[in-house]
Amino acid sequence: MKKMLAVTLAAAMTAGLLAGCSGGGSTGGGAAKAPETTAAQETTAAAAGGEKTDETKAEAAAPAADASKYEVTEPITIQWWHALEDQYSQTVQDVVDGFNSSQDLITVEPVYVGNYAAVNEALVAAHAAGTGLPAITVANTPYVAEYGAGGLTEDLTPYIEATGFEIDDFGKGLVDATSYEDKQVALPFLISTQVMYYNKDIADELGVTIPEKFDDMDQFLEAVSVVNNGTTERYGTIIPGWDQWYFETFYLNKDVKIINDDRISTDLDSEAATGLVNKFKEWCDKGYIYWANGEDASSIMRQNFIDKKAFSVCHTSSLYNTYVDKCDFEVGMSWLPAGDTKNQEIGGCVLLIPSKNDQATKNAAWQFLSYLCSKEVNMKWAKETGYIPTRNSVLHTDEGVKFLEEKPAFQCIFDNLDLINPRIQHPGWSQLATIWKNYMAEMMIEDVDIPSKIEDMTEEINEVLEDS
Amino acid sequence: MKKNKISPRTISALKDFICVVPALIFLAVFTYYPICKLVQISFTDWNLLNDRWNYVGLKNWIWLFHGSGTKHLLNSLRVTVLYSIGELTITLVGGMILALVFNRMSRSFSLMRAIVFMPKYVAMSSAAVIYLWILNTDTGILNYLLRAVGLPAVDWLGNRHTALISVLMLTGWRAIGYGMMIYLSAMIGIPRDYYEAAALDGATSAQKFWKITLPMLSPTTLFLFVTTFISSMKVFQSVDILTSGGPYRSTEVFVYKIYLYAMEDFRMDRASVIAIAFFILLLVVTASTFKISNKNVHYDS
Repeated sequence: MKKMLAVTLAAAMTAGLLAGCSGGGSTGGGAAKAPETTAAQETTAAAAGGEKTDETKAEAAAPAADASKYEVTEPITIQWWHALEDQYSQTVQDVVDGFNSSQDLITVEPVYVGNYAAVNEALVAAHAAGTGLPAITVANTPYVAEYGAGGLTEDLTPYIEATGFEIDDFGKGLVDATSYEDKQVALPFLISTQVMYYNKDIADELGVTIPEKFDDMDQFLEAVSVVNNGTTERYGTIIPGWDQWYFETFYLNKDVKIINDDRISTDLDSEAATGLVNKFKEWCDKGYIYWANGEDASSIMRQNFIDKKAFSVCHTSSLYNTYVDKCDFEVGMSWLPAGDTKNQEIGGCVLLIPSKNDQATKNAAWQFLSYLCSKEVNMKWAKETGYIPTRNSVLHTDEGVKFLEEKPAFQCIFDNLDLINPRIQHPGWSQLATIWKNYMAEMMIEDVDIPSKIEDMTEEINEVLEDS
Repeated sequence: MKKNKISPRTISALKDFICVVPALIFLAVFTYYPICKLVQISFTDWNLLNDRWNYVGLKNWIWLFHGSGTKHLLNSLRVTVLYSIGELTITLVGGMILALVFNRMSRSFSLMRAIVFMPKYVAMSSAAVIYLWILNTDTGILNYLLRAVGLPAVDWLGNRHTALISVLMLTGWRAIGYGMMIYLSAMIGIPRDYYEAAALDGATSAQKFWKITLPMLSPTTLFLFVTTFISSMKVFQSVDILTSGGPYRSTEVFVYKIYLYAMEDFRMDRASVIAIAFFILLLVVTASTFKISNKNVHYDS
């Protein structure tokens, strides 16, 4: 009996091994079921030409994109995954109710999944499994390249062409940030950028403003920081060390590329990059700045600012309303101090449709996506949160003027909209970011040998870039 | 003519076998197949997103044992072992001490035991969120108490020297009651005759503990050691919520490292080689424990 059991067990394991090994091969194997050809792919194929069947030839003869392919003909209920926390729940519900009552066929169910990392986790797992996908989901901006490269996202180009969606009404930076290899794999949804919030009451009292140039930060920090006997009573500013997005702008504006043109190496060990590390470290040691790191770093940073223990904080513009509501002083908002250039990067989230859904779900998702990215809904978000209006037709019209009257602090963003650039796109970016922010936090907080740490960091990042 | 008849013994064995077939199928599908798949992925460049992959030979294994992965592997190994030692100490030593203290069968002790055991019922995620508040540098109650007695506040989760201790505070708080209950149930099972005989011989309480209680509890200790060791090596949730592996990788335990590679970096290939290395490590340590324990565990029978 024992022998029989052993043989059966071995056979089961062997069968499993054979089954496991049958899917791959150097020519590639299926990790998950590939989606059936979609209407978007058909349209793209028809437009691309090449060897065609009779059917596609007929399609090619027709107008470039057939809107009827993307119509919703049957009642359908779809899920929208989002990462909008409790403070936005009323706006989410209003927007969804607005869409559901605007037509009869599609019912949208909003699902709060968690933060962007949680959405990514759930989405990638569902994509790999080929089941349990939402019809439409938000995604943090840095994921666009990886999702596009991995085929997770539906190519929205044919949908845009077929339905005449006004993609040109978005700024070029926003369109580029949601594209991958000339395919529109997502659309801009809730867009923010890095800003510096400051205590305007203290600024007026001291007669200081946020410096326009990074090189003027020494004088500024000395003026606004309060350090007594080595103990900081008021930080000049707080840098969010938990996410490299907040400090990478300083590097880019000092002509540090972060990823070199060869795409397999970094220049984070360059003279300019090292100079920045040394400067940040000097400010940390003097008690002028606080490098916020760790799980509760964000709440600590906010609380320090609210309690007037920090003159300013670098944070996302999307939190403007939150800061204004919580502070008992006037909150100013400023563009970050510039280097040789004064560019910044897009933050926030985009909307995408998973490619493995069936066509009926995708069509319904596209209708809801068009609605969410419409000018009216975008303005509702901008008014009720700190996200930026994304439509050119708003920014340069009376609506924009009206918006600025309500939120004059946003003038600094409106003045520099063309300088908000897409994020760096590289398959190894996520790994690079993790390595970079870990080393930065260690160098800023601990007493370590900075040159050797920079050397270790560069070596690690280069290895990741080479292998991505 | 000889009659070819199946013996009743064979029929009985066959029946037994049929009974275990569903379990075997379940194991094959949900345990062995994923393990085989994991081995396969470790030889590919799969990134979790693409439907296709390429075989890359031993590249991922070389990265792990002879590349930049070695540094992270050793760091995760160090952190995980330190964490396991901490949790084992709390569960075994703490559980034993509490079991000795609460080994009284009265209503008040029963209530106190329930209070000590209660944290085990609290979901780890909920408990971790509460600990985030307790350990908060500025507003946490722990630092409030430290300040009240004139001590400086500690950045519990942001300091590399205290982050792992903070995670252990949470898991220890949940695990110690469990250790106590298991030891208590085992203590009740020790025949009173041994203690009475020892008392007649003039044994002290300490002698009774070292010569009777501890040896008689050795099977329970082995059980607690193995189960706690395996669960502590697989720690994830508390690290994920409290520290996310930080600061600067000082709490980056094995499972969290695997999660980072697979779900955040989209490196399923690298995640799989670490997972296999981890699996082998657990297997070896558990087998060694059983081998060593054969000589040191005393069963009453």
